[in-house]
Amino acid sequence: MTQATLSREEALVGQLKAQFPEAIKAAKIDRTHRITVVFEKDHLLNIAAFMRNKLGFDHVKGVAGVDFPTHKKIEVLYFAGSYSRPEVQDFIVILKTELPRDKPAIASVVTIWESAHYHERETFEMFGVEFEGHPDLRKLLTLDNWEGPPPMLKDVKFPEMGQR
Amino acid sequence: MTTTPPSPTMPTSKTLPPSTLDVSVGPQHPGSGHCRILIRVDGDYIVSADPDIGYVHRGCEKIAEYRNYVSNIPHLERPCIADAIHLNWGYVLPIEELQGVEVPPRGKYISTIAAEMNRIMSHLYGLAIMQGVFSGHTTIFMWGFGDRDLFIELAEMLTGARLTYSFLAPGGPRRDLPFGFEDRLNKLLDYFEKRIPEYDRMFFQNPTIVARAKGVGVLKREDAIKLGVVGPVLRASGVEYDVRKVEPYGAYDDLEFEIPTFEEGDSYSRFLVRFEEMKQSVRIIRQALKKMPKGPIARKAPLVAPEGEATGRVESSRGEIAYMVMGDNSDKPYRVKIMNGSFRNLIALPFLLRNVHVADMPIIYGSLDYWPVEADR
Repeated sequence: MTQATLSREEALVGQLKAQFPEAIKAAKIDRTHRITVVFEKDHLLNIAAFMRNKLGFDHVKGVAGVDFPTHKKIEVLYFAGSYSRPEVQDFIVILKTELPRDKPAIASVVTIWESAHYHERETFEMFGVEFEGHPDLRKLLTLDNWEGPPPMLKDVKFPEMGQR
Repeated sequence: MTTTPPSPTMPTSKTLPPSTLDVSVGPQHPGSGHCRILIRVDGDYIVSADPDIGYVHRGCEKIAEYRNYVSNIPHLERPCIADAIHLNWGYVLPIEELQGVEVPPRGKYISTIAAEMNRIMSHLYGLAIMQGVFSGHTTIFMWGFGDRDLFIELAEMLTGARLTYSFLAPGGPRRDLPFGFEDRLNKLLDYFEKRIPEYDRMFFQNPTIVARAKGVGVLKREDAIKLGVVGPVLRASGVEYDVRKVEPYGAYDDLEFEIPTFEEGDSYSRFLVRFEEMKQSVRIIRQALKKMPKGPIARKAPLVAPEGEATGRVESSRGEIAYMVMGDNSDKPYRVKIMNGSFRNLIALPFLLRNVHVADMPIIYGSLDYWPVEADR
């Protein structure tokens, strides 16, 4: 396939795969404007720095945790987007990695994407994910007297809300 | 003890005079809703601010995992009742993507009209409360709320509810335009267009407002990009970014409109962006009413979504709102992640509340159009 027939999504995936042949386990085009990249968690900062500096993805729209108790893992998703580069403004690149459920920890991307500050705090609080190197990792949304486990984990249920 | 005058640059902890004082603004905040800002003041200068949010956190994302796709709609639009259609639409889009359901063209047009009406309502609310009341301009509060109610009446005619419509379901809107709606909406837009210059004279040309908002809370373009702010806050800093243009949904592809942007990045230009957007919304509604095709408004969508995840986004009044919905072959989502404008703009608050007068805080806060309930979810 020549360069001319590559879609913009394919070109982007190709660039990422060429740069990180080992770190990226899978990269798939979900549809136009959407790419999901599954990577090894240790390479997060390298991939994030490459995406910001070379590909123009200058902010994250959100950081999401997803709990999979049966697989004993927590997935962390970073939704990266671009304001400054018009060619990729319409993209959302979802960086996805999995962490062990008993001790979820990953490097903080705040040094690269400052916009992740509150999103990481939220994911820390809701899923118990430690973001190492975050300047101010503390509770955000729950009450000050909330002592329970991270509330978004699947095995934490609130029966009074009909959650059984 | 003599107090040193506040330094023009941001003081560090070493240069802080011992005269600083920590003040908790809120959570019983006059007018804004329920969030607390812990500010450290030196005389009448704010040295630093730490927003303490979560007073209205309801665990929407958790609740969503225990309800089926359709019964999630009413509670997921509650976080921002001033902007319910957009919260609703952003949630519906990824479900439609997962199910492979395409909304018929007429349904898209109706959704677009409802959304733009909602944008005008939300910006009028912002103009009235967040910008009017917070800068002590009570006339604009009355005007904004009065005119907003006219749009609310029409929204009630269209959807059956004044604020929380639950109007869009996977597959399309719930109702077609009622009889006589087009005429009434056109008349209302005629009236509203006449009001726009009056708003301009009363508020935006008002020397007091100009003096209080111009040059206050400047967010430069590179800072706006770095902090990842969205919506009017971003566009007031000179970044032309609007989901309606970069990734058109609904009927926006067929309609002509502009994205108002300003270079200054101060509170005044954030006020102006919303004002200009209302004019564009009027333009969009007029075109949509003219171009509206005939045909069915909705398709039947399954109650179950297949395994997989989809991320959909719309441009809400407070900026891009994206939903990630993860399905697992059941009638309930495995996970719903909400990324909304208020939560993403929150980071601008501690950034802007540094070395500004305490009296400028309401202006800066109001110019962000921050909606605590939306941020807390």
